[in-house]
Amino acid sequence: MRYTITHRTLYQYSSGVVLCHNEARLLPRETPWQLCRPSQIRIRPRPALSLERQDFFGNRVLYFAIQDVHYRLEVTVATEVRVLNERPFDETSSSPPWEQARQALWESLDPEIIEARTLALDSPFVKTRPAFLAYAEPSFPPGRPLLEAVADLNQRIYREFKYDPHFTTVATPLDEVLSERRGVCQDFAHLAIACLRALGLAARYVSGYLETLPPPGQARLVGADASHAWLAVYVPGIGWAEFDPTNNCMPREKHVTLAWGRDYGDVAPLRGVMTGGGSHALKVAVDVEPNPEPFKS
Amino acid sequence: MIEASAVSRELPAKPNDKTVLSHYSVTDSGYDEMYSAPGELRPHWRHMARFLEETGSEELARRQAEIQRLLQSDGVTYNTYDDPHESQRYWSLDPIPLLMTGEEWSTLAAGLEQRSRLLNALLADLYGPRLTIRHGWLPPQLIHAHPGFLPPCHQSLPAGGRWLIFHGVDLARGPDGVFRVYGDRSQSPSGAGYTLENRITLARAMPLLYRDAPLRRLASFLEAERTTLAGMARHNPENPHVVLLTPGPNSPVYFEHAYLANYLSLSLVEGEDLVVRDGRVWLKTLGGLRPVDVILRRVLDAFCDPLELRGDSLLGVPGLLQAARGGHVVIANALGSSLIENPGLATFLPLLCRHLLGEDLKLHSLPTWWCGQASDLSHVLAHLDTLVVRSILPGGPYWEGQQLDTAARALLTERIRAKPHLFVAQAPSALSTAPVLEDGRLVPRPVMLRGFVVAENHGYRVMPGGLARISSGLDTLQLALQKGGISKDWWVMAPTPQRHVSLLRQAHGPIVVTRDGSDLPSRLADNLFWLGRYSERLDSTARLLREALGRLLEWEQDNTDERCLDDLFQALEITVPPVAESPRARFFALRQPLLDLVLGSTHPGSLQAIFGGMSRTGRAVRNHLGDDSWRLLNRLQHWIQEPSPNMGARQARELLEEGLMVLTAFCGLNNETMPHHQGWLFFDIGRYLERVLHTLNLFKLAFITARHPGVPLWEVVLTITDNLTAYRRRYRSALHPTAIIDLLLFDEGNPRSVGYQLRRLQRNIGRLQQPKNSPYRSAEERLILQATTTLQLADIKALATLSHDSTRSSAELSRLLDDVQEPVLTLSDAITHSHFSHAEVPQQLITMQP
Repeated sequence: MRYTITHRTLYQYSSGVVLCHNEARLLPRETPWQLCRPSQIRIRPRPALSLERQDFFGNRVLYFAIQDVHYRLEVTVATEVRVLNERPFDETSSSPPWEQARQALWESLDPEIIEARTLALDSPFVKTRPAFLAYAEPSFPPGRPLLEAVADLNQRIYREFKYDPHFTTVATPLDEVLSERRGVCQDFAHLAIACLRALGLAARYVSGYLETLPPPGQARLVGADASHAWLAVYVPGIGWAEFDPTNNCMPREKHVTLAWGRDYGDVAPLRGVMTGGGSHALKVAVDVEPNPEPFKS
Repeated sequence: MIEASAVSRELPAKPNDKTVLSHYSVTDSGYDEMYSAPGELRPHWRHMARFLEETGSEELARRQAEIQRLLQSDGVTYNTYDDPHESQRYWSLDPIPLLMTGEEWSTLAAGLEQRSRLLNALLADLYGPRLTIRHGWLPPQLIHAHPGFLPPCHQSLPAGGRWLIFHGVDLARGPDGVFRVYGDRSQSPSGAGYTLENRITLARAMPLLYRDAPLRRLASFLEAERTTLAGMARHNPENPHVVLLTPGPNSPVYFEHAYLANYLSLSLVEGEDLVVRDGRVWLKTLGGLRPVDVILRRVLDAFCDPLELRGDSLLGVPGLLQAARGGHVVIANALGSSLIENPGLATFLPLLCRHLLGEDLKLHSLPTWWCGQASDLSHVLAHLDTLVVRSILPGGPYWEGQQLDTAARALLTERIRAKPHLFVAQAPSALSTAPVLEDGRLVPRPVMLRGFVVAENHGYRVMPGGLARISSGLDTLQLALQKGGISKDWWVMAPTPQRHVSLLRQAHGPIVVTRDGSDLPSRLADNLFWLGRYSERLDSTARLLREALGRLLEWEQDNTDERCLDDLFQALEITVPPVAESPRARFFALRQPLLDLVLGSTHPGSLQAIFGGMSRTGRAVRNHLGDDSWRLLNRLQHWIQEPSPNMGARQARELLEEGLMVLTAFCGLNNETMPHHQGWLFFDIGRYLERVLHTLNLFKLAFITARHPGVPLWEVVLTITDNLTAYRRRYRSALHPTAIIDLLLFDEGNPRSVGYQLRRLQRNIGRLQQPKNSPYRSAEERLILQATTTLQLADIKALATLSHDSTRSSAELSRLLDDVQEPVLTLSDAITHSHFSHAEVPQQLITMQP
């Protein structure tokens, strides 16, 4: 599929901001199954300084600083992407028993596997606890193939948890998500990651977008889409298999990848520190527009 | 200092005091620094032993007391948080230095130098190509589970940059005489400043011993620190601006930050003082932004940049990491370098040394097992009762295996098994002992050392000596000092006596604010302004209290008119107790609220509460006060914190008398020693602003709002303002309101008059540097002009008709006082807005804390 992704963020301040430093992870990363054309970036007011770099996880980061007094900040990034349907894994892929995968993760001397091991550890937003292990265990009986077990966990989260955008915030602890059985895509991804890490497996957080289809007979609403999040589990020696617990599926061409990391904290789309500003109001509009035009090369 | 050396010159005449050393008992099983076996003095201690015997136990005890007195008067403190009543602990130093031969030190120094090179290479690899991880030399879970590893710092150092500049190493000698490392410090390797202070103090208290001893001096090491810092600058190589970034006066080791900044001629700054613009770091000063080239960092790295690191940090500078990445500012130690404090690394250092340096590790760590390895884990669980288990996390807990009962051991085993990579175990070892003076005699006590290393050219330089302390080997330096541990100076002997380098003494010379004052950081100006306000507020409150207690005592003794006490209570903002049945009961009822203000701390107007503000602002401007002023501030601290709880009115008044003297000396000395540039101007404006408000309030009380106006109250007002004598000399008559009004309101020659105070404010406000060269008067200039002219244009004759029983002119006087007071009340805000407002605290766009 081809899409034009437009992500617009608008901050309005009650008093003037004299200086702000920001980091945006809004430039989609290239992957074997995702090609990106150069993004169009519009930042108003214009930054005094803006630089792109790669972070530790290979994501594209845009740093920018605005040094003149301003009362609103608008960041719009538009990118044309092409997402392929072919992935290293699908629902029918065979995989080793999960214990065997875990053993390989912790004992292999393969550099790629060693690096993946760092994603089996606790991270700032995802701290493993016995409760997560207890929740995961029914999906992980001895000897079950890893991907089958994760798909089962993915499905259980989808069925047993209520999608409730009013219940959680970025700061809601994962324990509460588990005990109240509700949350949003970010919480479900964190929960699945916590379960996998509690078992000693490596999992990472993926941020991106999902094409949403309008109800039958209605026109597509521009800007009504939202950022999305899911996760990937590591199959040693083979690669990362993605799962979307919010939609009970393995992401394919409708999922556009933005960035990945240990948890949300590593991939927040826009963060910043400002001097002044008083209180502020935020508006975010995301548009995932299917683009019938093929890439011009 | 002079007295001490005079005493010591007379000493050799005394016979040797053998009792000093006679009780020092050593065993064959342990290692003692002074004796190789019972009765066998090590050769390099001979001179010291002779000196100690010649000095004798009585004199040694006197020197010990002298050392403590010197440390206290220099304000050498270690801040603690656990005890709210004693938030500052005085540094404690044993008079006997720890001696080490030059040969022994050379071997140790070679090991330390190698260790710094190794850890620097490890940092460069872990934040760069990560070969140590990818080749399997170092397990990633050991590094990534430790909060010292900061992913945003990956590849954040431009080519050629060095990660580790300052390195502190905790060491101790085991029973076999071999040194082993107990821990590495890169976050804020504190102790070098205390080491210097120890050396200076010892030189002052034991001048003869120090002067004659053939010991290696510290000055060249400190000089190397300065050269290294300056040499790292990418901009302004000929005159780089180097700052020391401190968390502020509440940091446990703030004393050292201030001390080192002064010694190394660095600007002492907090995160709020710095700002990143155009990719560079700038210091916010009264004169505008001044570029910063090098930062000596004493703030934990995770707290240094709320944009990329911990978002909840108020200590950092947004955008700092990006500025470092661009190479426009150099940070020592680099952000991210605290990962080498991870105790689990000890297990892997011998192997890493081979791989990274191609050398064998010279200086080994205490035997350490990292539970993240299956073989180590089983060893640890099998030998739990002989090991000490530690969490690898900074400040994490530790468990002594042999102290645990069965249940506790099972619990610990469970904890380790749940997250084995977060635990290490160490085989504890008896530390070597060294002589410590206790009750005039030397006794052997276990010691731990902290050595210091600084980057130099392409290698590292090791401090010849360092900080020694009495330790069980389990506690950290920070923990030990918070509990009031005893430190020792560590001396490295040289083949011949080395001349004393005067550089050390220079650090004790007078402190200069700044050359022109315009590069004074705005936050410091703010603190100086408030230091002035608090010290004046303390002065006026103490004067009011002294007067109130005095009247109370007179009434108790001579049954004088005590009604003016009501009005004094009003001035002190405390309520007058209801009328009691007996005079005795009334005395106690009146006394209690006054004593509460003198001794208690709950009332916001109490002396302790006001001094709290004075002390806080005073410590923040430590480097802008003269040393004597600093000592006086420390004396005030003593004075205010140590009153006896069962004090009566009379003692309380004597206490106030004494405190007022110290306070007056403090303010007077600041006038005498602080250069009258921008910093002093803010201090003086703060004082006189407070004083003018206080005088106006007293006036209102005496002539307008008093419940019992008249001669007794007027007399009180004149006494509080210290003008009673002046009045008597001038008028030689009974008190008359018109004369008082002239003396205290209009007489511009009288420093206690409102007229004088306003004039002084006007002059000093006019001298303040305005941020922009505007042709118009600033808000604060307009306000003070308004107050001054209102007073000058007042119709004195209309006010002068006031007499004892007349209230006719009160309305006019009242209006005048209001008109003068009103602009002065808004003056403080105007000054804050014009001069300190760009010290604003940044906030997060989104809340990002997990």
